[in-house]
Amino acid sequence: MPARRELLKAGLIGLTSLGLPGLGLAAKGPAGDWLFSAADDAEGHRVLGYVPATGERFRIGVSERCHGGCRRPGRTQAVLFARRPGRSMHVIDTTARRELARIEAPAGHHFYGHGVFSPEGRHLYATVNRIADGAGLIHVFDAQRDYAHHTELDLQGIGPHELRLMPDGATLAVGLGGIRTHPDYGRVKLNLDDMAPALLMVDRVSGEVLERHAPSHPQLSCRHLDVGADGTLIAGYQFQGPAWERHPLLLRRGPGGDVGEIALPDGLTDELRHYTASIAVARDAPRVLVTAPRGHRVVLIDSRDGRLVASHALPDAAGALADGQGGFWVSSGRGDFYRVAADGAPPERLEHLALSWDNHLT
Amino acid sequence: MPYRPLIQRLGRLGLAALTLAGSPLLAEDSADARARWHQAIGDRYALLAEAGARLETSAHAYCEAPGREHRARLEDDWLDAYQAWQAVRFVDFGPIEQRSRAWQLQFWPDTKNLVGRKVQAWLRADTPPSIEAIADGSVAVQGFPALEYLLFDEHLASSEALAAPQACGLLQSVSGHLADTGAALVRDWQAFGDHYRGTDSYTAATLQAGLQTLESLEDKRLAEPLGMAGPPANGYRAEAWRSGRSVRLIAASLAGLQDSFLPGLRPLLAEGGQAELADDFAATLDAARQRATAMAPGLAPSLDDPEAFAELQGLYVEIGQLSWLGQRIAGQLGLVSGFNASDGD
Repeated sequence: MPARRELLKAGLIGLTSLGLPGLGLAAKGPAGDWLFSAADDAEGHRVLGYVPATGERFRIGVSERCHGGCRRPGRTQAVLFARRPGRSMHVIDTTARRELARIEAPAGHHFYGHGVFSPEGRHLYATVNRIADGAGLIHVFDAQRDYAHHTELDLQGIGPHELRLMPDGATLAVGLGGIRTHPDYGRVKLNLDDMAPALLMVDRVSGEVLERHAPSHPQLSCRHLDVGADGTLIAGYQFQGPAWERHPLLLRRGPGGDVGEIALPDGLTDELRHYTASIAVARDAPRVLVTAPRGHRVVLIDSRDGRLVASHALPDAAGALADGQGGFWVSSGRGDFYRVAADGAPPERLEHLALSWDNHLT
Repeated sequence: MPYRPLIQRLGRLGLAALTLAGSPLLAEDSADARARWHQAIGDRYALLAEAGARLETSAHAYCEAPGREHRARLEDDWLDAYQAWQAVRFVDFGPIEQRSRAWQLQFWPDTKNLVGRKVQAWLRADTPPSIEAIADGSVAVQGFPALEYLLFDEHLASSEALAAPQACGLLQSVSGHLADTGAALVRDWQAFGDHYRGTDSYTAATLQAGLQTLESLEDKRLAEPLGMAGPPANGYRAEAWRSGRSVRLIAASLAGLQDSFLPGLRPLLAEGGQAELADDFAATLDAARQRATAMAPGLAPSLDDPEAFAELQGLYVEIGQLSWLGQRIAGQLGLVSGFNASDGD
């Protein structure tokens, strides 16, 4: 009985895992907040708004499959991005429960599916592909001017994917996947023999690439990442080479800037099938959760040293988000929504919706 | 569309089966199924490699002495190799993922006619490409559709067109690259063996791959070109429309599932007390394969022929039933439909 153990251990926190809504916890953390996810249901592609504490939710129809997103600090807004090679981003308002605006990528560019706001919520940084030459860029949009295109940062690389703002408010951490695609070829990967992936640290004002950390193998595509309050950064890879090889799938950058890869136990690495999806670093505990949909697993590690805390079977695991209360929320393509505690207790299913949650929770 | 309600009904039942799937019944140790699959799929890759080598030889023979006999042989060998690929195309993991090899072999769907544009670009070049140039070039011109363009497109309709040095050079280089891809798949599938047999999650991945193929047969390869998916019928949406061999390819896919998907599926279902379901699936698969094999080879030419169109509808319904049985199998085995597993980012 994981719920009871939690109750004994942590008092109030246990109540949420028993499924009792709210109880005043809402104000303390994201538990009472909206979260967002791309989703597919019987009627098509959606952006889903959802409050885990209450089950409150709304769906907005969108014309294309969406991917990741970000919340706008200080506002009741979130932006969700079309999935590669889509060209739209959707500004959602949680109060009005509707789409405020749909913004197209500038001509000749498409989004990679992720973005992040500046601390004051004015500038939106989104990873994009300049289609003509495949250059990986960050486009900066001004939310105060109806998300007008403000400027661009050249990452000197191909295939930037997820990005986060470091706690200094000045540096962007960017997963550079290294994979070249072109809309004419749909989602076909065009350069698997010639990849140069990296974790990048980028000055969000000058665009200077301050650090470039290449993975231990050039076919380890660095895709998703998250950052803790102390600056601990964990990035996840997707290996594009032979399926029978074994490579580490996680990279850690410590608060002091030290960088090293995390190797999980061999058997577990094999089961993950070279594929990590969402990364969530807890803000209040030294824990990281990684979803691995091909292995139908979530993996919990200690963010201080990469030690494996737990590995749980979780069918078609998709998005992950720290819940602000020592645990994580995890969504699945099967429609299920879970809470995964930081202590290694098995995932607890909180909800089932008749839809497929897509890759990420925002 | 008289069959539509039936299909919709089947679709709903299928969805229900998936949603109701309870605790996974997949045996903890399904290594035996994987061992069978590895052998059967490996055999099919070997056939693909052999057919690819024959195709390369025929391309050289034709270019050395263009003539009716060599031309007919070349077309036959192209279709044989293309069918050999269909038979193992359901495998979407392992060596086929490397270097986007599935796309190399068959760039489809090709909504922007990249195949035609890239082949034309090579035909206009000063010298024919080497095999290396094909290997390093566009994925749209590395496989069967590019060869199909050379063999069947109206731009090369005159009997001498393919015999011209530029066209023949391209034909030989693409065939050579294709044969190389087949050989690499055989080699890499063997190298993959221990890992595949030893990794439990490949059981679900293989099941998923087979069942997913039934869905794409139903939706992408039949419903869309037949006009049963919403937009009106459009023969250009069919695979191999240039050669009019769409139904031959479907038959080959079904034969491949019989030879290399059933061997692992049967013991898994039998272990779960579902031998009867396995028998139903095998019988329906065989009926669909026989039906497809006996039909006219193309899809587009049948759109305007009521009798032939009815045949296609019949095949569509049969594959719909197969797909529905696939959903039941997924439910029985507790197979998770991999929305994120199969198509993440």
